[in-house]
Formats: sequence, C-alpha cells, structure tokens
Amino acid sequence: MLARSETLMKWLLYALAALVCCMAQGLVLQRLLFFGVFPFLYPALAAVLSTLEGAVPGTVFSLVLGIVCDLALPGPIPCLYTLVFPLAGLASALIAQNWIKNGFLCALVASACAMILTDLLQMLILLLQRREFWPAAPLLMLKETALTLPFVLPVYLLMAAVYRRCHRYD
Amino acid sequence: MKNFLKENGLWVLFAAAVIAVGLAVLSYFSNNSPLESLVGTVTSPFRTAYSAVANWVTDKQNYYEDTKALKEENEDLKKQIADMQDQIRQAKSDSEENKRLRELLNLQEQRRDLQTVSAYVTEQSASNWTSSLTLNQGTDSGVQEGSCVITESGYLVGVVDKAGPNWCTVLTVLDTDTSLGAKVFRTNDLGIASGDFNLMSQGRLKLSYLTSGSQLLNGDQIVTSGQGGFYPSGLIIGTVEEVKLDDSGATSYAVLKPSADIPELTEVFVIKSFRIVD
Repeated sequence: MLARSETLMKWLLYALAALVCCMAQGLVLQRLLFFGVFPFLYPALAAVLSTLEGAVPGTVFSLVLGIVCDLALPGPIPCLYTLVFPLAGLASALIAQNWIKNGFLCALVASACAMILTDLLQMLILLLQRREFWPAAPLLMLKETALTLPFVLPVYLLMAAVYRRCHRYD
Repeated sequence: MKNFLKENGLWVLFAAAVIAVGLAVLSYFSNNSPLESLVGTVTSPFRTAYSAVANWVTDKQNYYEDTKALKEENEDLKKQIADMQDQIRQAKSDSEENKRLRELLNLQEQRRDLQTVSAYVTEQSASNWTSSLTLNQGTDSGVQEGSCVITESGYLVGVVDKAGPNWCTVLTVLDTDTSLGAKVFRTNDLGIASGDFNLMSQGRLKLSYLTSGSQLLNGDQIVTSGQGGFYPSGLIIGTVEEVKLDDSGATSYAVLKPSADIPELTEVFVIKSFRIVD
C-alpha cells in the first residue's frame, strides 16, 4: 500500500510519461504516413497503463485520457474517446488479470484490443450515421492497428519504468 | 696618416680634381666610358644578387600580405554568401507570400462580398478517421463555427468546426461530416457535395443528389451554390473526375477532385463574413 504522497508522485509520473507519448504523437507520429495512415498511440497508452495498474486505476486513467482526447482531437461525436477508452482500459486490465501474464506480450495484446475497440466504435458511428464505410473502414482499422503495435514497445518501457519505480517496495 | 694629409693633402686634392675633370671630359665626349663600363661590369653580379634577394623578400612579404588579405576577403565573402543565402531564402518566402496575397487581392477585387482573415495551418489531421486542419486564428480574429476556409485562389478547403480564442479546427471538404450545397458551374445543376469515407483516403469527395436530367462531364467545375445562405456562393469546390451509378443503379453521383491541395496547405483564409449575392 502506497502512502498518499507516493500515490500522488506515481500519478504525476504517469501523467508526465503520457505527456511525452502525446508529444511524440503530435510531433513525430502524425507525420509518419504509411499507406496514408499514421500510428495512433492514445488507445495503446490507456491499454498499457491498465495492464500494469489494474482495473480501477487503469479505467480512471483511461477516462481522463479519453476526456483529454475528446477535447483535443476531432471526432465524429463529441464523446467518442471518453466512451471507448475506459472500456478499453477495463478490457486490458481483465486480459492482464485473467488471460495473459502481465508483461510486454500482454500490453501488446491489450493495445491491439484497445485499437480494435476504438475503431469498431468509429465504424458503429458511421453505420448509425448511414455513411458508406465498407471496405475502407475495416481496412483502415487493420492498417492503423498494425502500424501502432510496433510503437507499443517504447510506451510499455516508459510506463513499466514508472511502475517499477513506484512499486519497488510492494 | 695625419702627417701624410698635412704634407700631401693639397696634392691629393689636386689629383682628385684632375681625375674628376678628366672623368667629366671623358663622359662628355663618350656615351660609355671604359671606366664606367668596368665599374658596371664589376658591380652587376652584386646588383643582380641584391635585386634577387630584395625581390625574394618582397615576394615573401607580398605573399604573406596577400594571403592575409585573401583570408580576410574569404571570410568576408563567406559572410556575404551566408547573408545573401539568408536573403534569398527570405526573398523566396516573401515572394511566395506576395504571390498568395496578390492572388487574394485579385480574389477580393473579384469577390468584394467576402471578408477574410489569413491563418496558418498548425496541424494536419490528428486522426486517421477524419480529415481536419487546425489553424492559428480563432474567435479573437472573428472566426466562427461554420465559417468557410479558402485558399488564396478561392478554392474551398473546408468549414470551421470548432473555434477557440486563438485557434480553430476545420473539417475539410473530404471529411464525412462536411456537406455543402453545390452546383455545376457550366449547367447550374444543383447537388450536394459531401465527404465519403471510401473516397477520403484517396483525397476525393462525392457530388450526389443530382437532378435526374443533369449531364455532367469530366472536368466540370463544381462551386458552392450558396442556397440557404449558410455559405457564400461561387467558391470552387473541385472538378468532376468520374460519374458513377450508386449501388441501387437508379441514381448517379460524381467523384470530385478538390481544387485545393489539402495535404500541402500552409496558409489559408477564413471567410469572416459575406454578403448574399443573388
């Protein structure tokens, strides 16, 4: 059990690590176009942290990240990321607790699930808006997920470093 | 020696005077006296040697001075080149800006009904699922949600979706949420220009809800219709690239290539206000 000041420090470090990832996304990744698509780190960020920290803290962090993303990024509905990121965080924590031993592989699988969940919701919105999206949207989902997964490694290393630093006496 | 000069001084002086007069007479009557020739012959190698040494020293001195001057000149020239390259870069940038502003001025002379504010593109699409731009102008400059964004040539880029004090996000004409009243410039046929998800990745949009008798040709220019008064009329959206039948086979739609080169945009103009022209 961490003391209050340690908990505060832990979330401050996680916030800084997330900020670094957001800056990398805005400054670098958004300019790396492969087949017209760029890597999209935010769902992976929610997933990786949730695999490390567990269901409740992971979901809360994902909710905050979702709100920030909805405020900063354009989307088909105003609360897209607020809806999907906590769900992705919860799913990631469940994967880590029940299916795959916590580690990089778990983070990778959780990130893939988070990406697919986010993109499925985008497709559902297009469907509800009666927009034609077949076959471009599933193709985009596959490309985006495949392109983002290699970047899960630096995100995992960064978050795991914060986790190890804050949980060394657990 | 003192005694010698005392006793024979006058004689020496006299002898010197006689020799001097002799030499003067000799030189008067002859251009090249033998004595002079003899002295010249004897001193010539020394003069040559002296001259060679003096020339060598002068050469070395000149070489040193020249090298020093050349180094200084080289430094100056390098600075001048750097300054000039900087000026060239600035001139290129100014020239491009000048071109854009001239085109805008021309557009403003043609379209006196439009009031615009220039803005720089600070971010291209932040998501793979939308086609958007972020600009560095916002409500402080008169930008509002729903304002049209154009290039200096009057090509429509998109419509402002959200606006803050010093920023705004623009959904481009390619985005699925963009839908504009449009007309075919050649025939005045009306339709709806809207983003289509399947065409967005190809950088194209769709012109649909065309009237049954409309005859579209490839290359037809599509402009905003201005109907409803939401957007100004006559803004160039794009050109017809292909006419297709929809899945039902009952109606046709056109694939449009936007006139604005959206991925390459750096500066755009937001229409703050416009007069409705009938």
